[in-house]
Amino acid sequence: MSTPRHAPSAFSTPASTTLFRRLTWEGTVPLEVRVDSKELPANSDRGLECYYIQAPRVSYLPLLVPEIKRFLMDVVFDEAAARLIKEEDWWFESEEGHLLKWHWPIGLIYDNHTIMSSARLNSSATEPAPLRLILHLASPPTEKLLLSPSTEACKQAFMGQLKEADFLRWGNTKRMTGLRKAEQDGLWEGIKEHNFEEYWRVASKITPTTTPMRSHSPPPSSSASMHTRPPSADPGSNPGPDRDGAYNVRSVPVRIYLPDGPVLQDLVPTMLDDGVAHTLSIFLTTHLPLLFSSDREPLAYALVQGVMVPPEAEMAWLGACMAGADGWVNVCIGLIREENLRFR
Amino acid sequence: MAGSPSPSSQPSAWTTHDDGASMREAQEALETYKKKDAVKVVVRFKAVGNAPIMKQNFYKITASNRFQAVIQFLRKELGWKAGDPLFTYINLAFSPAPDDTVSNLFKSFATDGHLIVNYSTTAAWG
Repeated sequence: MSTPRHAPSAFSTPASTTLFRRLTWEGTVPLEVRVDSKELPANSDRGLECYYIQAPRVSYLPLLVPEIKRFLMDVVFDEAAARLIKEEDWWFESEEGHLLKWHWPIGLIYDNHTIMSSARLNSSATEPAPLRLILHLASPPTEKLLLSPSTEACKQAFMGQLKEADFLRWGNTKRMTGLRKAEQDGLWEGIKEHNFEEYWRVASKITPTTTPMRSHSPPPSSSASMHTRPPSADPGSNPGPDRDGAYNVRSVPVRIYLPDGPVLQDLVPTMLDDGVAHTLSIFLTTHLPLLFSSDREPLAYALVQGVMVPPEAEMAWLGACMAGADGWVNVCIGLIREENLRFR
Repeated sequence: MAGSPSPSSQPSAWTTHDDGASMREAQEALETYKKKDAVKVVVRFKAVGNAPIMKQNFYKITASNRFQAVIQFLRKELGWKAGDPLFTYINLAFSPAPDDTVSNLFKSFATDGHLIVNYSTTAAWG
């Protein structure tokens, strides 16, 4: 990672960080949305009821509803049916009949489903196949959904995740609550409009930075400027841009998704007791020792944003550069098969 | 990750040729991680604003429960109906997703051996 030659301002970001944030933001997954044939209104144009979307990984299913609705109204439904549409009753299921968690980012739904299906079929799909969704138009199973899948509820859930991430990082939510209402709304608008600049204009105020430590630390070595230890572990005692440094967080917001569950969450410090940076490899051997052991070949692999991240990637860096729009690094675990070995 | 040791130093079950044994072991590992153990953790309920204070505030709750179950439990203890407004927060800071588990929340946010759950009749921290 290159060191900026000028003194880093509070919001200056190295080009490589911006690159990875943009790559994460621009990541998309193929979806095939099909209305449950039993629910297609009479006089619908059957044969056309499948809609394909290349959806942003950082977006959410309820945000796709307007686009899907426009298509169905233009192409599939007749006028009578179109008048009866109540999109607040819409809900999605996977092909296998699993209720989809609409408060999960689309990329997470996709990766988790891909891993689960390849496990079930005992195959390894090497080509990205569209995630086939069944769209139901009525009778949402509100008990199981827990919350209504409206855009407003989705926004609240998203804000909640951002605050939880903020609290994990700093032990308080001052950065989130310090934003003006218009700024907080701007984060969600950025996702709705899928506008990188709009989202990051606000997110840069609350996301850890990756600028190297100033003044107290030795000049960065040529190998990696990321390994300098912060002068103090207490963010409060170190005013200025370093206060928000990726290595100063108490814990990186990370969740592990095992195929078919459970979801695991725990404190993830950026540095370990012996002064070593917390890498993905150490993180996995610590939390999933039955699958990742340092004295043998791993039985599983880890995907972040659909990418097999190298085991030496640092958790602090992942938190600053490859987290989702809600601030969380979602690590999806899949089992290695003979055919997957060439990816390592 | 460790490099591949030479075949002669490894028990035959672990060589990459015996994919079946590795897969079985991996599947067993997944089953182990899926098991919901009966461990209970201490949750401390704290009223906010006008919300009534309960006689008993500390409860032992099964860690594998989802937070949704905690909300329903709280509703029952308060004697409130499904439609009555009830807002819950962790450490006065955020509202967790209802499918977050108590175990995950406890590991991440417990203080002094218990997880603080604030409850209120109005949205306090929105």
